[in-house]
Amino acid sequence: MNSAWRIAREEWRYWLRSKTATAVGVAAILLIATSLVTNYLRIDAERDARQQLQAVAEETFRNQPARHPHRMVHYGHYVFRTPAPLAIADPGVDPYTGTVMFLEGHKQNTATFAPGYTQALTGPLATLSPALVYQLLVPLLLIVMGFASLAREREARTDQLVYTMSVSPTTLWLGKSAALAVLAMILSMPLAGITALAWLGGESVVISFVFWLGYALYLLCWVLMITAGSVWQRRASSALLVLLASWLLLGVLLPRVASSAAEASLPLQSNVRNNLEIAKALRDAGDGHNSADPAFNKLRAQLLAQYDVEKIEELPVNYRGIIAEAAEKKQTEIINRFARRRVDQELAQASAANRFNLLSPYLALKSFSITTANTNLEQHHQFLRDAETLRFSFVQQLNKLHATELAYVDDAKRSIDASSEQRARIDPQHWRMLDGFESERPGVTARLTTALPNLAILVLWILAAAFAGQRGAMRTAQQTNG
Amino acid sequence: MNSPSPNKVLSATNLTVNRGGQQVLNAVNFSVAKGEIFALLGGNGAGKSTTLLTFLGFIKPTNGSAQVNGATVHSDVKAVHRQVAYLPEAANLYAHLNAWENLDYFLSLAQVDNSRESINAALDTVGLASGARVRQLETYSKGMRQKVGIALAILRDAPILFLDEPTSGLDPVAIDEFNAIIVGLAERGTTVLMVTHDVYGACRVARNIGLLQKGQMVGHFAASGDEQISADEVHRMFAEHHKA
Repeated sequence: MNSAWRIAREEWRYWLRSKTATAVGVAAILLIATSLVTNYLRIDAERDARQQLQAVAEETFRNQPARHPHRMVHYGHYVFRTPAPLAIADPGVDPYTGTVMFLEGHKQNTATFAPGYTQALTGPLATLSPALVYQLLVPLLLIVMGFASLAREREARTDQLVYTMSVSPTTLWLGKSAALAVLAMILSMPLAGITALAWLGGESVVISFVFWLGYALYLLCWVLMITAGSVWQRRASSALLVLLASWLLLGVLLPRVASSAAEASLPLQSNVRNNLEIAKALRDAGDGHNSADPAFNKLRAQLLAQYDVEKIEELPVNYRGIIAEAAEKKQTEIINRFARRRVDQELAQASAANRFNLLSPYLALKSFSITTANTNLEQHHQFLRDAETLRFSFVQQLNKLHATELAYVDDAKRSIDASSEQRARIDPQHWRMLDGFESERPGVTARLTTALPNLAILVLWILAAAFAGQRGAMRTAQQTNG
Repeated sequence: MNSPSPNKVLSATNLTVNRGGQQVLNAVNFSVAKGEIFALLGGNGAGKSTTLLTFLGFIKPTNGSAQVNGATVHSDVKAVHRQVAYLPEAANLYAHLNAWENLDYFLSLAQVDNSRESINAALDTVGLASGARVRQLETYSKGMRQKVGIALAILRDAPILFLDEPTSGLDPVAIDEFNAIIVGLAERGTTVLMVTHDVYGACRVARNIGLLQKGQMVGHFAASGDEQISADEVHRMFAEHHKA
């Protein structure tokens, strides 16, 4: 083991004396620092902005003057998705899914204002997050640093002399791997720093540590793949080519293939067609604004029978409010049915893409990262569900006010009679129905349970790369004279 | 051919190596006694370096065996490496390190004394100027690199020394200095196996010479008494086989 560390120290001395290594080190520091600082500042600013906007939206709703409750249903309300603490490291799907939703009666709007739309104008690396840097660019830098670690010795035949010092081929490979692993761990320290910031920002200490651990394992996996690539190739140049091709395959091509295969095997229904189907289903369910809609004849008959009256004007409740409430319930059921179908399709597609995780440590880490950081698709769906729960709750509270606080006669005449219109308004104290919105986030155990299979895939890749490296070392020692 | 002797340190018995579908060594036999300098002579592609690399355990014989102190090399390569110092043809040391750093690194790997005093003493022995010792090896001539390689072999204090074309590219003065060091080491009991195509250099230092041609041992010459092996005789046989 001492010899392995001595070899590792020697590799470091080589790097420190090499201009290429210095240039790569500077590039690594710049990339990591830029991504950490810019992403941290952006997410931190967004979190503050969304929290403030959420408070402003709630305050604006509460401060509305006396109005007809149904006008408040359409006045609506905004909810904002606050970034998860670990979004400073991995914003996940947030830049693409939208973070703001307008909530109103009879409609389930989509989330809007995805920062990615505007950032797309500044190029493909506009969302240069720490996650992207560590998932794709740091392995590239490690390749540049380590591709020649063993191939260089073999080309210069210095490995022969090393072996005659009673150093085994496995020890030489271990030493080179240790040198690169130490570099990888040093490069992972800024990430450890940002996960500590996430912890200070409210994230669990276990999750923060596991998040860093996943990235550390991923980098270790690349370290072992790089030294394995270097030991199996006769020439440093061919080792570089093989490793760059592997990087391209595992980090660029396979992810593209995975998502294309998932899209092709489980295509999502287009939004236009989806919306047309929803509109038709809602039409069939009846118009809650129209108390004469035949869709509500049965309900009217039930109410008349229940209160033993002959006309809706004689009901002790406002028939229009009852209709609005019933229609909203029916329409929400329809909307939710379509939403569930959409969510199921999206999850099935994501699950199909995730089947490729075993084939690429990059894909496994990506899934692990967004799951642990709470910035995955499931969390976006949770935001949509929570927003819908809030929407349905406040709309129905308004409909209940409509049914109980307004006389039917005033309500019916409010568009033709000014005094009725005045009486069809209710006191603004009723608007104090909104509390601070916060989307539910899965707990530590749930996230760890979901992330564990991808962590296991990374461990498998580490074992496979270590096996390949060790076998390669033994093989090349037998052919060391080329 | 040499007959096996009880004090033999190195022995090749029917040593055969096939590589890439070609027979590189064909039933080669020889042995080297303790404190003896044995030179394997031959032209390019004769199988000299392959023989050396087989003794170092880097090539596995297809048939026969290479033995060091009675133990088959491939049964315990590490044990062989503990007894061997090796000087490759190009003195393959690290170009980004200076002489002192190179020696310190290799000696620490071999877990032998790597104090500055002992390293300086060895560099004094091989005659490497003090001023050159702190310069990176990329600025060295081949002769200077060879000196560092020999210093390493001396510092290893190994009972067996393998040399691959040790005087190739050296000037006559450097060759003389090198030969003196090798002979000195042999006199102190070091067993030396060198491969070379330098007939005259080999005859000046070796007590036994084997002539390899196309993987076969085609001749053997031994010095008698204080007389050196006749370089002319070796040269003649070398030329005959080369023409054949």
